[in-house]
Amino acid sequence: MASVTLSRLGLTYPDGTVGLDAVDLTVADGEFIALVGPSGSGKTTLLRAIAGFLAPTTGTVHIGDTLVAGPGTLLAPEKRGLGMVFQQHAVWPHLTVAQNIVYPLRRAGVGRAQRAQQLARVLSTVGLTGFDKRNPATLSGGQRQRVALARAIIGSPRVLLLDEALSALDEPLRGALRLELQALTRSIGLTVIHVTHDREEALALADRVVVLDGGRVQQIGAPPELVSLPNSPAVARFLSDATIFSGVLSPSGFVATDHPCAVPGSRIEAVGGRSGPGSIAVLPEDIDLVAASADRQDVRGEGDDDHGSARVTSSLFGRTGNDVVVDWEGASVRCRVPGVRPLVGEPVRVSVRRAVFYPRAAAPAPAAVFAAPYHSTEIGG
Amino acid sequence: MPPAAPPGPGPVRRDRVRPTVPATTSGTAASAGPQPQRRPRWAAPWDGIDGLRAVLWLVCGAVILLPLSAIVVLAITNNHLPLLLSGDVVEAARNSVVSAATSAVGAVLVGTILALLLDRSDLRGRRTLRLLALTPLLVPPFVGAIAWIGIAGPTGPVNRAWTEWFGGPLWIIYGGDGVVFLLIVHSYPIAYIIMSAALRRVPSDLEQAARISGASLLRSVTGITLPLLRPAAFSAFTLIAVSNLADFGIPSIIGLPERFVTLSTLVYRYIQSGTVESPLEVVATIGVVLLGVAVLSMVIDLLVNRTRVELDQSSAPPQPIRLGRARAATSIVAWTLVLAITLLPLLALTSQALLPAPGVPLAWENLTLDNIVRATTAPGTIVGATNSVMLSVLAGLICTVLGLAVGTIVTRTRARSNAALATVALLPQAIPGLVIAVGWLIIAPRIGLFNTPWLILCAYVMAFVAVVVQAVAAPLRSTPMSMEEAARISGASRLRALIDISWRMAVPAAVAGGVLVALTAVRELTISVLLLSPGSQTLGVSIFSLQQAGAYNAAAALSLLVTLVGLAGLGLVDRRRH
Repeated sequence: MASVTLSRLGLTYPDGTVGLDAVDLTVADGEFIALVGPSGSGKTTLLRAIAGFLAPTTGTVHIGDTLVAGPGTLLAPEKRGLGMVFQQHAVWPHLTVAQNIVYPLRRAGVGRAQRAQQLARVLSTVGLTGFDKRNPATLSGGQRQRVALARAIIGSPRVLLLDEALSALDEPLRGALRLELQALTRSIGLTVIHVTHDREEALALADRVVVLDGGRVQQIGAPPELVSLPNSPAVARFLSDATIFSGVLSPSGFVATDHPCAVPGSRIEAVGGRSGPGSIAVLPEDIDLVAASADRQDVRGEGDDDHGSARVTSSLFGRTGNDVVVDWEGASVRCRVPGVRPLVGEPVRVSVRRAVFYPRAAAPAPAAVFAAPYHSTEIGG
Repeated sequence: MPPAAPPGPGPVRRDRVRPTVPATTSGTAASAGPQPQRRPRWAAPWDGIDGLRAVLWLVCGAVILLPLSAIVVLAITNNHLPLLLSGDVVEAARNSVVSAATSAVGAVLVGTILALLLDRSDLRGRRTLRLLALTPLLVPPFVGAIAWIGIAGPTGPVNRAWTEWFGGPLWIIYGGDGVVFLLIVHSYPIAYIIMSAALRRVPSDLEQAARISGASLLRSVTGITLPLLRPAAFSAFTLIAVSNLADFGIPSIIGLPERFVTLSTLVYRYIQSGTVESPLEVVATIGVVLLGVAVLSMVIDLLVNRTRVELDQSSAPPQPIRLGRARAATSIVAWTLVLAITLLPLLALTSQALLPAPGVPLAWENLTLDNIVRATTAPGTIVGATNSVMLSVLAGLICTVLGLAVGTIVTRTRARSNAALATVALLPQAIPGLVIAVGWLIIAPRIGLFNTPWLILCAYVMAFVAVVVQAVAAPLRSTPMSMEEAARISGASRLRALIDISWRMAVPAAVAGGVLVALTAVRELTISVLLLSPGSQTLGVSIFSLQQAGAYNAAAALSLLVTLVGLAGLGLVDRRRH
């Protein structure tokens, strides 16, 4: 096991496309890191640069104390001592399960007896005892992915790289393997770098999550921190489908431009400055919807914000809360509403319980950078 | 029959021209984008892969590029254009082009109809019929020609009976129309294979979407599926036309008796009988023209297929076309025609082989095994058979190794020169065997292979290596690159990963391709007859010489044996593949 240190890592494709732009990242020994980001954000590029399949154009990659990529140095993938699981499992069809799994040991020149011993150990670790003579073609998708995992860990790699390792599996199986993957990697203390486009999976598995976009690191943090305090509107929108309002923050509170949204200062957390023009990110969890027919005084009594009138445009059932989108005076607002599921077309009143403020300078929020996964109308100037 | 007809799936020529740099495995936009240079200038150690690539370039250069450039150089340095525009050559060229184009159109039509009937309709007994319909592929074209003379020749049973009843023959196969007919018979199976593969690739949901939108089944087939087959039909047309352009066996056996001269028979006459001065130079000029036609057709095919639409995969089985009331009639007609085209020649060959002379009535007391005994024990035959077996086995082995190496390196590694290497290796498939033979004839004296059988071996390797390259490359293209990357991560060098993973995965396909090469080469005529030298005659040449010498029944006997052995061999390969 080893740490991974990336320093000012950059990768530009021959046609000028920027794959990675000055990425700094230190993965501690034994840490589970997840890389997330929208398509084309550079997360796979980053993983393949660590693996050695891509040569960075600037910066350095250290695995442990070894410089594996940098000016004048480019260690071949086979010399980096890594394990990797690919999205399409890449289990070799012309070899048996056992031959597949012990391949790294054969390349390392490990003797026959020791190979058999290690094989038995990893087969039981991934729950495939007795499968060693099988032809991979006779295995299910989940079993093949376990073979790939066994092959990746049998040589005690310094770092385990997972490239969308669970993404090709069906949903229930993915959930089950997620649990197994965590139990397994934690029990042997592996350093893991896990690339996924599945936000929930990244948050669920990782010690720290790295949000990438446009080849740059947008934020690194523990899952709760990332969710509750995203450091830019873009991260808030990508990770949590937050709604962004532009406006001005004064000591009394935030008032959106060209929109009835107003949030009292007591409910605002700030990243950077506490006043002036900027924008707020409102997480779906931090919005209350009140049926418009309810007594307005009940809701109003507590705060001095003006409840806008809105209309439900879609309402999906969810286990932990209904996933509701309302049209609030022209803005599509994503809300998570526990309890009774609102009906589409129902008039509601919107109340913001909490918001995060970003001053304009600190949060340039390039609108086009994030392709928001859901509705994302930015309101006002 | 083009010697290099690949049995692989789909329009064959597409692989030849597709960029060979495979995309990486994961579906994210990051990796679907352009790949950065694998090894920047500051870290470019030469490894085994680069060495292997250099060796392959050397071999392909020597075996493929050298003879081709010899033709071009010889043709350019000697101006024989006046002769080229003389009556003989122009007429032969016209005959070649017309017969190649007509037969290609006919073959594609027959192949498409067969694909629809056998793969999509509820025709009775279509599984058996499919196997039967493919058998002309296994019969060498010149053997087919000999067999058809036994059916529709001047003294064949059909014409004799017709003369008895109506006072004149029905249709004598000799001449241009017979050449076109036989070319169609021997090339429609390839058209069928290509069209059938293309048909399978059209997702069934496209037709189902048309049905849901209110189209009848017939209309959805003609309006949706058939237009999507157009690029495949064009590929089939160019492939067949180019290979028929220079077929030697059929025009020389069927066309010459009626003075229907094509380029290949003309070239043969120039080389064998010295009717022109400096025959090699003249022939090289003709070869360059044919080469130009081949390259042009490749380019046109490339341009046409550039606009090819990408089709998604579909898992739903397509709905069969119900023939309804026409089912019985269509089945009877299809069965009759296919049986007539496939079984009749075999029967004719058998009866010819068992009769002492053409025209002797088929009766028990006339049957004899003399022809078979005489044909198989003649010294020429034994030399021919020995040569053919040796040359074809060697060609199969060399093509297997070379094709495996080229096929894997161009599909499983990244290099700018991959596309060029693949094009060079696949190029001879688009080049008429005639041109290949002429190329080797030109360089033979300089490389010391003049008048040796090794010259034929070199030409076989050049002509057939593409079969193995395609057999290897097609399945590997659809295999994700992560297969090798997994080996790299596991500690294998680039060369090691190529050997352990790519080669071993591709060995079955390469062996099947190599066997196909050997089986095609053992019955080859066009190249062998042009490179004929004392003591190096092949089986095909033996049969051809018997036929030319008037020993029709001995030729038929030998043809029958070759065909049966060939059928058995291909049957074995086919069984192994399943």
